[in-house]
Amino acid sequence: MGLEQESPQHTERSTEKVSALAPSRSIWSGSITIGLVNVPVKLYSMVYDKGVSFHFLHKTDGQPIKYVKMCTKEDKIIPWNEVVRGYEIAKNEYIIFEKQELDVVRPESDKRIRISKFVDYFSVDPIYFDRTYALLPDKSKDAYSLLLNALQRTNKAGAGRITLRTKEYPALLHTYKGALVLTTLRYVYDVVDPQDFEALHKLVAPQKAELDLAVKIVSDLSGDFDITEFQDTYKQHIQELVNKKIKGEKITVEKPLEAEAKGLMVALRETLKQLEQK
Amino acid sequence: MEDLEELKSLTKVKLTNLDKCFYPQINITKGQIIEYYIKMASKILPIIANRPIVLTRYPDGVNGHKIAFFQKNAPQGTPKWVKTKPIYSPSTKRNVNYIICNDIDTLIWLANLSALEIHMPFSNLNDIEHPDLLFFDIDPEAPATINAAAEIALLLKDKLCHIGLTPFIKTSGKKGLHIIIPITPNWTFKETRTFVHQIGIEIAKENTIATSEFKDTKTPGKIFIDYLQNSPMRTMVIPYSLRPTPNATISAPIEWHEVKKGLNPSNFNISSTQDLKSYPWQNIFEQQKTLPL
Repeated sequence: MGLEQESPQHTERSTEKVSALAPSRSIWSGSITIGLVNVPVKLYSMVYDKGVSFHFLHKTDGQPIKYVKMCTKEDKIIPWNEVVRGYEIAKNEYIIFEKQELDVVRPESDKRIRISKFVDYFSVDPIYFDRTYALLPDKSKDAYSLLLNALQRTNKAGAGRITLRTKEYPALLHTYKGALVLTTLRYVYDVVDPQDFEALHKLVAPQKAELDLAVKIVSDLSGDFDITEFQDTYKQHIQELVNKKIKGEKITVEKPLEAEAKGLMVALRETLKQLEQK
Repeated sequence: MEDLEELKSLTKVKLTNLDKCFYPQINITKGQIIEYYIKMASKILPIIANRPIVLTRYPDGVNGHKIAFFQKNAPQGTPKWVKTKPIYSPSTKRNVNYIICNDIDTLIWLANLSALEIHMPFSNLNDIEHPDLLFFDIDPEAPATINAAAEIALLLKDKLCHIGLTPFIKTSGKKGLHIIIPITPNWTFKETRTFVHQIGIEIAKENTIATSEFKDTKTPGKIFIDYLQNSPMRTMVIPYSLRPTPNATISAPIEWHEVKKGLNPSNFNISSTQDLKSYPWQNIFEQQKTLPL
């Protein structure tokens, strides 16, 4: 918003910029690999969860609470060096893995987005879309621009794989608003087939007249999709409440000051001694 | 860092805004206020122990834009370890959840809440209906000064000693003087109030600048001997409490020989604690006497 007020060419725009801020740091860098061709790119976050979020505080003193790892049997806090990973093979039965054992089979990030074929972008059901990242050119802008234009011209998307941190994802390389973007995809095992719901079996076919009417209603209400028509009213209400509360009492995280601590410490030590003598 | 860690190990209170200025004329910070109350704790705690207390909080200091506010109920966010006691208030027909300050941590917590002034009633939790203290508030109306108030206080002292009581005195921290008399808790507030009023009337007969009648309180040059605070859950500012004056005066217990012409209440302030090694109110509750009623 602030930036737009500073640029005169934008003053005629009636709508405020509502999209998330572009990040300044990339989270991954490597190459798109298509056969023998490499296109060096950097990967940036592009989607966020910017809804309302709260911190949990201790009601009586307003200070942040923290989670601790407790042993359910011994009822005590467990340090990280005593934690191993358990794979549940039956209810409450685990096979134990040390970190080193898992590191052997963990996929290594080889700094590549390996594209194996090109598919029609609309043939990939969005059900499988997980998270989208922006790809920006690294070193060579020419190769990036060539790939971008080729995908735009053909309406195709590259299907392939990427390893982010320690997990390998199926991924779709496609274009969005003049950029190459990469959308990680879900594996089949993470998505339910709706035909597995009993209630969908034996659906009765509608009467023709009814269907004609329903189709007419749908076409009458048809229009172009515009995401900005949807406002997060909960977030807006919370923001209003926050503004009100800021004017009243605000809970601040408490940090005593080093410089003041000494005098208080000396006085308190002396007084505690006096009180003990009584 | 070590000082801070040791401080944390000595008190449960999470101290905040220690560098915030509370007395702008003399540049006294909240840290210094807390330090003052810590130094006075061994004198303050025996007097206020087991009494419901009332606070005057100055969240922005004595010249702050926000006005000070009285607080009877323990505020939201009061730590669990702070002792409180609900006491029914007939005027509001509700319980008031009073703070009880029996330990140093609670006193530090109060100071950290920017409760510059602390007030206490004249009875304690053992028997809240029956006062264990009598209270004479000697309040000079200009052009009368503390010199005239001291004169009246000495008259009162003689009278009280004569009938077998042991009076103690402190400055109010402003322009007046407070006389406190420990008594056995065998009388109602109505009885102690009438008694204090009666003494006030007798003094007013001996010296015409004194009055014990509420209607005369604003008469210029008069010394008002106020008896009205001797009532359930009415309070006085506690000994050694800070006052919201520009130079951070305190309500200072003093020896009777200090009550004389030239007594200057502003000599007793947050910075003169070195002069406060003596404790004129030592063992005050061992001097409880019965009233000649």
